[in-house]
Amino acid sequence: MKIVVAIKQVPERDAPIHIAADGRWIEEGDLNYTINEPDAYALEEALQLKEKQGDAEVVVVSAGPERVQSTLREALAKGADRAIHIECDDLSTRDTLGVAQVLAETIKAESPDLILTGLQSDDLGLGQTGVVLAELLGIPHATIILQVEFSGAGLKVKRELEDGWFQHVEMPLPALLTIQSGGNKLRYATLMGIKKAKTKELKTVLAAEASAAATISMERVYLPEKQKKTEMLTGSPQEIAAKIVEKLKFEVRVI
Amino acid sequence: MSGVLVVMEQRSGAWNRMSFEALAAGQQLAAKLGAECSAAVVGSDPGALATELSSKKLKKAFAVQHALLGIYTSDGYVAALEQLIKEENPDFVLLPHTYQVRDYAPALATRFQQVLISDVIGIRTEDDRADSPIFVRQLLQGKLNADYRHIPPGPCFVSIQAGTFRADAVEDGTAATETFSPRLSPDQIRNKPGEPFRESSHTVDLTAAPVIVSVGRGIGEEGNLPIVEELAKALGAELAASRPICDNGWLPMERQVGSSGQTVSPKLYVAIGISGAIQHLVGMKGSKAVLAINKDENAPIFEIADYGVAGDLFEIVPELTKAIQTAKS
Amino acid sequence: MIAGGLPSTATTRFFPGAFLLSNQQNIGTYGTLAEPGPLSAPEKIVLGLGILLAAALFLWRFRPILRNILRSKKDPGFKLSPLGPRIWDFFWEVLCQGKVIRQRPLPGLAHAFVFWGFLAFALVTLNHVATGFGIGFLSPYSLIGRFYFYFAAIWAVLVAVSITGLFIRRFFVRPVWLGRKVSYESGVIALLIFLLMVTYLGAFFVASGSTEVRLLWWAHILTLLAFLPLIPHTKHLHLVLSPVTVFLKNDGYSKIPPLTGDEDFGLVTGKDVTQLISLQTYSCVECGRCTEHCPAANTGKLLNPKEIVLGIRTYLNEFGPASEVPLLTESRIASPDNPPERYLSMEAAFECTTCGSCEFQCPVGIQHLPVIVGLRRGVTNTGVWEDTYGTKLFLALEKNGNALGLSSTERDKFLQRQAFPIFDGTQEYCLWLGCMGGYDPKGREIIADFARVMQYLGTSFGVLKKEKCTGDPARRLGNDLVFQTLAESGLKNFETAKVKKIVAICPHCVRTIATDWREFGIAPEIEHHSEFMARYKDRLPKQQGEKIVYHDPCYLGRYQDVYEEPRAVVEQAGTLVEAPRSRERSFCCGAGGGLAFLGEEKGERVSHVRARELAGTGAQVVGTACPFCNTMFRDALTAVSEAPPQLLDIAQLTARALPASQPSQGPHHSPVTGGAQ
Repeated sequence: MKIVVAIKQVPERDAPIHIAADGRWIEEGDLNYTINEPDAYALEEALQLKEKQGDAEVVVVSAGPERVQSTLREALAKGADRAIHIECDDLSTRDTLGVAQVLAETIKAESPDLILTGLQSDDLGLGQTGVVLAELLGIPHATIILQVEFSGAGLKVKRELEDGWFQHVEMPLPALLTIQSGGNKLRYATLMGIKKAKTKELKTVLAAEASAAATISMERVYLPEKQKKTEMLTGSPQEIAAKIVEKLKFEVRVI
Repeated sequence: MSGVLVVMEQRSGAWNRMSFEALAAGQQLAAKLGAECSAAVVGSDPGALATELSSKKLKKAFAVQHALLGIYTSDGYVAALEQLIKEENPDFVLLPHTYQVRDYAPALATRFQQVLISDVIGIRTEDDRADSPIFVRQLLQGKLNADYRHIPPGPCFVSIQAGTFRADAVEDGTAATETFSPRLSPDQIRNKPGEPFRESSHTVDLTAAPVIVSVGRGIGEEGNLPIVEELAKALGAELAASRPICDNGWLPMERQVGSSGQTVSPKLYVAIGISGAIQHLVGMKGSKAVLAINKDENAPIFEIADYGVAGDLFEIVPELTKAIQTAKS
Repeated sequence: MIAGGLPSTATTRFFPGAFLLSNQQNIGTYGTLAEPGPLSAPEKIVLGLGILLAAALFLWRFRPILRNILRSKKDPGFKLSPLGPRIWDFFWEVLCQGKVIRQRPLPGLAHAFVFWGFLAFALVTLNHVATGFGIGFLSPYSLIGRFYFYFAAIWAVLVAVSITGLFIRRFFVRPVWLGRKVSYESGVIALLIFLLMVTYLGAFFVASGSTEVRLLWWAHILTLLAFLPLIPHTKHLHLVLSPVTVFLKNDGYSKIPPLTGDEDFGLVTGKDVTQLISLQTYSCVECGRCTEHCPAANTGKLLNPKEIVLGIRTYLNEFGPASEVPLLTESRIASPDNPPERYLSMEAAFECTTCGSCEFQCPVGIQHLPVIVGLRRGVTNTGVWEDTYGTKLFLALEKNGNALGLSSTERDKFLQRQAFPIFDGTQEYCLWLGCMGGYDPKGREIIADFARVMQYLGTSFGVLKKEKCTGDPARRLGNDLVFQTLAESGLKNFETAKVKKIVAICPHCVRTIATDWREFGIAPEIEHHSEFMARYKDRLPKQQGEKIVYHDPCYLGRYQDVYEEPRAVVEQAGTLVEAPRSRERSFCCGAGGGLAFLGEEKGERVSHVRARELAGTGAQVVGTACPFCNTMFRDALTAVSEAPPQLLDIAQLTARALPASQPSQGPHHSPVTGGAQ
């Protein structure tokens, strides 16, 4: 059993947001990078499957510039067996399809039984790379997965639907799953893990040149006009109640 | 055909309400482009739903019909819609950004060597490039907005975030209904989905609750709890509390939110009479929206609240309950 | 016979029983220690064999212990120097019995009498044995001998009375701290000691060379020989080991040793138990002082520091120091078949608030905290410890750099709101906010008030643009990876900002930066705000009246020996009231050791016990000097009291009397401070 986990390195969640001079991304100089949180859950799922399965190998794959190696090392420290760094300095110029192609090329060579990835990234949030990757590899996929178990020659997964509904899906292997955050409890990095990771393999491969031009482009980024600020509602109790209902209806949309 | 195609979503013959928001978006986009809008609904027998669409201002309402499309599978939907789009050849394909769309739309776009512009919160056109609309997306968990454009050729796939367009803005009119029967074979469909189910909810799971009404020290005494319970009931919310309430045994410990209780991230968190000690804040800071009602206008809870009411909860909460009940009925 | 009647008269006065004897025997010899006279050859052989047997039995039993100690892992980085503090500790704790008496005066004094009596008896005992072989060197008839035997006799009486008292305490009063089980061995030992004294004293009332003295002499030596082999077998091993333990114990309080090499993750198995730990666990006298003061043991939790120590000892006896059996496992939770004193449980290890009472109290030099934290390290560094809250905390520290898991932008916003100047190297102090000061609403109030005090005093300060947690909770919970990462980044942060002097409101931050970071570099000088304010106490406004009970934070008091400074500040702000347990005996608030982040406690809350005690003093205000204590008492005081006293940090106590928005008055009015208004 070989499980590949595709991981993205993203800016830390509370990274300072300063728009870069070209207006197309944020200043990267003072950013710290970390593992994309949903991918951390994908890794956790893989590690738990390995613990249950016994003879599984967990291979983590990440595309990007040299800095992604630190995230791969962390994944090794948490328990992955092997890491592949797809070196690609122009990743940000490729669209989802381009990125998925880069990943597909490397992952295909590994011929894994199962591919896991987070359901979306914390930075771009397009939520598609996994599905596109499955499509490119010609394997079935399921998204927003909370639980995975092997059943017979295939998989039985628990998929989250909207409004508190769930669904079990059975599917053959090899397959790709995008993992929902919070389905498992993440583990913390340990000193022992870090020391063991030093002896594990981290292979670097070069990404192929982009085969096609991007089909979508991000023209510019900017700060949203409305920054979160507390809106104090005043008036008589009846007026306040009416104002709240209005907010809950049209802004929070829970009524 | 060129123009806009909106793919509506249904389950067991019932619309997903976000479909009409996407439909409104499609109509508005088509109007700006000077093109026509069509809609499609997929299923084993979507005829009745397509007929419903015939009263909307559309060019066509497609019933994409096949026995294998009764239960949603990405394989079935991708194959069916690929055929429809190839035949109809729209410039834009709009979808509601639902969990189902997230499951198949990226693969569908890939069939056309395209990338879905997902979770769009706004569509803009600029005068000089009216044919190339700008799609606004959020990045970095909403801390940044980005303008996206599609680079022709090929259909442009877009999914629309809930609440971006108003469902009641859909324009009425007439539409010709048309049944589209894709060619599908059972071996194309690899996944076997089971029946949707809900988790049995005999234990309180605050972490999964979409709305939480939480009560703190400001409630004064146990006998006052019913006014908050009523509000929770009206909102369809789970009742939660800060530590002192659970310490006093007024509510069970499992309803405690905070560092020694549950960590929650509901769509709406209503904090009533909670001052906002750090132990509490860390348990609910992930909430999408926070409404705080507290006597003390300097209470720290207001720092993280989206909506604040500095006032007497005993006056405001019953009024709010009434107003919500009225709004919901 | 030199001294005539005088001493015997004195003796009869001291020993009323002697009067009776004096009518039957030669007056001149009574009241003088009688000598047995020369022993016959067979007697000498019996004596020699007896001594050999006792020594052999002693060694037979002591050797495995010594072997376990010596075969344990060497203590990395152990240094004997500087000798000064070691000699002082030996003098004070062993010779003067300082700790024994101070922390439990009555039984402590009784113990001290027994101990000093033993010391006094060393010479007597040597002479006793020597006399048996006819080479006695102290004659009861010489001036020195006579004096010394009387001197020893006084001690003998004190020892006999003391040991009787201790016997009564152990077997009849039975304080819970001594353990639920009655230790019969202790009874036997007490009896032997009593016999030793009686057989010695008896010799004052019989004639030299008489059968009686011969019998007493033999009784005395046989008691002694019976006593000897019992020592290594019982807790009385401390007679032999504890002086060594006290002398050799690691310098520093709650010192957490650096990990060495790639295979060291803390106390994972017997292989990781060091010689000092081994020595210390064998020295345990089971007095239960550690348990008596332990906040966990006192609130119905599984943890009992004594059982941790005895657990290691049992482990060593059972598996030996080279064993690879884990020290802590989940399955070793106490049950009737699996009593806690036999095993070490993970649950217990993670109930420790690291308040350090145990280590402070221990009279035989056992250092509990390195052991408890070491056990935690062993399971945390290897990922064995799985705890929802613990994991959440570690992930928050990994990702957000603060224990609360909040975004650092929250701190930025607070800095902006307060218009705190950013430290740029020109200010005198770097004001360290810490997690509580930066994120906690109450902690922020404390920081804001302390900043006002600094401005009032005209001291220039600035805050760091970015701060991460010092790593204190990770350190105490045994996560060395997170701790090291945070310590290194913190040191770099100070270096980049060119910080020379730091002041902080949190004793945990102060301790961690000043002591624990030392492993990775030299941090700038740091002090607690109580020390800062105490220095200027005469310039702080004097307030009248209100009774303020001061709570000593563990990490300020026991950890850093700062007791007077916060009191000086409190005294300026009102009338200082002492809690029943204060200063080095202060009872923990329950937050330390990372426990503030670990979810619900089993049993009663530590904070409630302490809050009740503080509220019970009748003071109008509870004064604290630690934001963690503050946050614990915030809930606890309202829970335990109908009309709870006000809860204020010493900075708030001071700031409330400052004139509102008073510009700096001090002589060193700095433009930077002014700019902060």
